[in-house]
Parts: sequence; C-alpha cells; structure tokens
Amino acid sequence: MIWETVRLALRSVRRNALRSFLTLLGIVIGVAAVIAMLTIGAGTTEKVKSDISRLGSNLLVVRAGRPAGRGGPGGIEQQPRKLGEKELAALRARLTGARAISPSAQKQVRVIYGTQNIAASVTGTDSTLLDARDWSLASGRSFSDSEVRSGAAVCLIGETVRKQFFGAGDPEGESIRVNRSSCKIIGLLAPKGYTGFGQDQDNVVMMPLGAFQRRIAGNRDIDNIYIAADDTTPTAELLPQASNILRDIRKIPIGGEDDFDIRDMTQIADTMASATTTMTSMLSAVAAVSLLVGGIGIMNIMLVSVTERTREIGIRLAIGAHEKHILIQFLVEATVLSLLGGIIGILIGLSLAGVASLTLSIPFTPSVAVILLAVGFSALIGMVFGFFPALRGARLDPIDALRHE
Amino acid sequence: MAPLIAFDRVWKTYGQGEAKVHALAGVDLAISKGEFVSIMGPSGSGKSTAMNIIGCLDTPSAGTYRFMGVDAGRLDRNRRAVLRNLYIGFVFQGYNLLPRTTAAENVELPLIYRGVPSATRRELAMRALAQVGLTGREHHTPAELSGGQQQRVAIARAIVTRPSLLLADEPTGNLDTARTHEIMDLLAGLNRDTGLTIVMVTHELDVAAYARRTIRFLDGNVASDGLNAEMVR
Repeated sequence: MIWETVRLALRSVRRNALRSFLTLLGIVIGVAAVIAMLTIGAGTTEKVKSDISRLGSNLLVVRAGRPAGRGGPGGIEQQPRKLGEKELAALRARLTGARAISPSAQKQVRVIYGTQNIAASVTGTDSTLLDARDWSLASGRSFSDSEVRSGAAVCLIGETVRKQFFGAGDPEGESIRVNRSSCKIIGLLAPKGYTGFGQDQDNVVMMPLGAFQRRIAGNRDIDNIYIAADDTTPTAELLPQASNILRDIRKIPIGGEDDFDIRDMTQIADTMASATTTMTSMLSAVAAVSLLVGGIGIMNIMLVSVTERTREIGIRLAIGAHEKHILIQFLVEATVLSLLGGIIGILIGLSLAGVASLTLSIPFTPSVAVILLAVGFSALIGMVFGFFPALRGARLDPIDALRHE
Repeated sequence: MAPLIAFDRVWKTYGQGEAKVHALAGVDLAISKGEFVSIMGPSGSGKSTAMNIIGCLDTPSAGTYRFMGVDAGRLDRNRRAVLRNLYIGFVFQGYNLLPRTTAAENVELPLIYRGVPSATRRELAMRALAQVGLTGREHHTPAELSGGQQQRVAIARAIVTRPSLLLADEPTGNLDTARTHEIMDLLAGLNRDTGLTIVMVTHELDVAAYARRTIRFLDGNVASDGLNAEMVR
C-alpha cells in the first residue's frame, strides 16, 4: 500500500516536472545553504584549531602588562614594567614540568642584502625557542650556547626572506644587514605559512637575544617568555605555578594586581574554535529560514494540486477510499517532493563546500550526521507543510468532488 | 429475504428557513437483489439525490435507508466508504477514469483500497476487462480510448470487486446510438448472467426499456413505479 502510494507520488511529481522542479527549488536552496554553511564552518573551525596549534601546543606565553579584560582600564598602560633576565632566570630555576622556557623580543626592522631590502620581524631569542614552539630547521644549525652567551652576530632566516634575497641560491654563510649591523646566516627555518589572521610566519629573522638587545633594541627587555609544558604536565597546572614565581620575583604584594599576563594557547585555541562554531550556527540559522520559505512553497503547490485533482479525489472516495488513503497519498507526495529537494540540496551544498574548501584552502569535512539531519528535516518539512493540503483533500465530500469540473 | 435497498420515509432537505428545499419528501422504496431498475424523472425531481443515498455517498436527513439490511444513514464517512468499496460499483456519465492512467490501473483502483496484493489485482483487472470486451486495450490510457471503450473500462472498474449493486448515472449520456446499445447490452447481459443488481438513472426511454422496472421521480417523491411491459430489443 505505501509502496503503491510512493510510486503514485513519484509519477505525479514526474508528470508536472517543471512545477515540481520550481517547488523543489526552495527546499534545494535551503538545504544546500545549510549543508554548505555547516560543512564550510566545520572546515574553518578545523583550520583555526590547526593554525593555533601551529603557534605551539601546550604553550604558555608570558607578557608584561596587566591582564586584559578583567575589570579596570586594561590593555594600554602608561609604562608596564618590562620582563627581563631576572624573570627568565627565576622561571628556569624554579618552574617544574616545563620542557622549555625561552625568551623572545621582537621588532619590525628593515633587512638588507645587496641592493634589496625588506621589512621583516626580527626576533631575539636563544636556541630553546625552536623547541618551545615546535619549530624546526630546514637546513643549517641553530645557535650554539657560546653564540647565545656572547651575543654573536649570527642569524636564522625564514623562507620568505630567503626567497626574496637569494632566490634559488643557498643563503648559508652569507651576511645580511639587520638595522645597520651585519649578521651571518647559519640556518634556514622550515616554512610555516600564514597564520589564520594573514600574518606571514616565514618573513622572520632570528638572532641571539644578546645580539638583538645590543644591536637592534638598545635595551635589556624581553617581550615574551614562552613556557612549553612537558608531555605529562597540563598547561592549567603550570600556569598558577608560573604566576606565583613571577609575583614573587616582581615583589607584588598579596592582594595586589598582576602586572604581567600569562596566556594559555590551548585555551585561546578553544575560544577561537568556539567562536567559529557560534558563527557557523548563526549563519546556518539564517540559511534555515529559506527552508521555511521552501516549505511554504510546498504547501502552496500541494493546495493547487489538491484543487486540480478534486475530481480524482472524488473518484477515489466514491470507489471506496478512506479519508486516510487520500491523506496519506498527498502527504507522501509532499514528502517525496521535499525529500527529493533535500537530496539535490545536499549534493549541491556538498559541491559548494568542496569548491570553497579548495579556494579557501580549508579542510573538507562533510559530516554524516549533518547530512542525515538534512534528509530528516526536509522529509519533516514535507509532512508538516503537506498536512494541511492533504487534510483538505481527504475531507472533501465525494459528491461535490465528483461534480467538480 | 430483506430487499437489497429499502427506503423508509426518506427525507433529504437542503438549506434552512425560507430557502429550505426538500429534495426527497418521504420516499418509500424497495429494490430486491437481481433487479434491473431504471430511474427517470425531470431534473430537480430528486432522482440524483436518491441515487447518492442509494450509493451511500449521502445520508438521509430523516427516515431510514437500509442497504443489505444495514442502516447506512447512521454510518460515518469511512464506514460508508468500506460499504461502497465492498458492495457497490459506480458508472458515471462522464466515465470518471483517472487521466494518464492505463485501463488496467484504473480497473485495479478499487482493489488497491481493499488491500488486494498486486499480482491478484492485475489478474482480476484483466479478467474484468475481458468481460467487457476490452482484451488488448489493457495498457491504453483513457485519452487513447473512444467514449464507448472508456465507459467499458468504467464498467470493468465497477464490477472488478464483484459488487452486489451497480449504480449507473446516465451511463450512455455521452455516447451515440450504436455505442449506447452496445453498453446497454453489456449491462443487461451482466444483470442476466451474473445476477448483478443494477440501478440506472436515465433520460431516454429506449435506454430505460433495457431495465425490467422503471421508477419515475417527480417533486421529491416516487410518481410511478412499475414493470416495463415489453422488452425493447
């Protein structure tokens, strides 16, 4: 009986091919939009997560300055007390559970080789930073301990800098000028690409902290201290420990406010991911509105169909169809119609997401749950919006219906 | 034995107050199993209303209508649908076949609502189509059939369920004389050979003459009711 009805419904859909297609369009667009949004959204979340984990996982970053966003005039302060050698030494001596603790000071500086020059981010650090941030070298070597101690004029360069100055050539052993002082290239950093925020992570020059402070910055300050947790210590455990050490060394009285900020990169990754998820669901909600419009389209066309086929309904009722037979016939027809729209919509939505993932270079992550949900939802739309027209057909008086021209 | 159809002071009233119209005004009527009855009368005489009540499509406003001894006037819509499906076949003036649906599928339709399995359905439909002389046309759609052939499909659809009663509402109204006599011969043959009770509304005397009894309606009541004197053949 049901199979019979489905066949009948398919036939009726085929018979009014153009009309069925136009009716489907609403559902197709709605489902395609929702599927594309959810799939692209999932891909973006994935991408943001991997971008942030590329900044270093299990990483704490210590900065000078009051923590932002916790009451009071956060952010810009007149003159935050800088971090220095003292804090670094204290953390290195007293913090347990850290794999690497590295200082870092940066400045945007003009870098010159021959007649060419580019603006690059120059970082002063020591050999532990590569470990702390999970960076690796493509060739050459890192700074030796004696180079770090003496502040030797040696540097590591990123892929963008290499390409700009040396093209296909080998940069090792060459000297570049960084802010008027010369330094010798000893190694090449492995390419890391852009961050999710569009920053080129390969347009960098790294040199020993001492050399940076003396030749570039002209002071003894440290901008960031990176603390990488070892495999068995969660960052959440490391953070209060580090905070206590810093409060102690910076002599902040009990109850006094921190004048430094420790950020947990894992937490930031989670926050970013949840932000994109929220964004995705909001966009999907907007897309879902078009599903509603599609449903109303189905209701409209089913009402037309019932009116058009009044005589057919009369015949069926006269020869012994129950109300429920007619009801089911039109319900199935509406459901078949919207299911068809749903399936086409899924295919289009996935194609759109596929194209988007290629052009935006985000991972393509179609979700079976989302697809099943879309199928179920479009069937539901057919049933809900098909019910009223179907009921109207089923309630017809057979005598009137037979008389209908 | 109780008659197949029994009207006991049946009234059918439409409208209210001033606009009240009595389509049927206390009709008494009995038709037995195996009869071939024609119903005649001018339009507005109540014959169509009577047919609708006989066919369990409508119910009396007052009085009782018993079909096979069952008080059909007290049954709800769906129960009357079951009654129609099991015991009554309909033939209409305008054939009322489903368009773009083959003859065989049209004939199968009442069996679908009975829940007959598909293979049996097909077989019964073929047999009914053979009975009305349409072998070879099973897979034609109404648009590909002549008026006479379409009416034969409609008759096949009416008898495929082996009903107790066949109701025909001006079955030859749209047909020419030759086709009219073919269809009437078919109906008369079904009545004679299978004992099928037929009640038929018609305007034409020579069509009414195929029946053995004629009931005339006038102003909502039976004006005359008697056996046809001679069979016109």
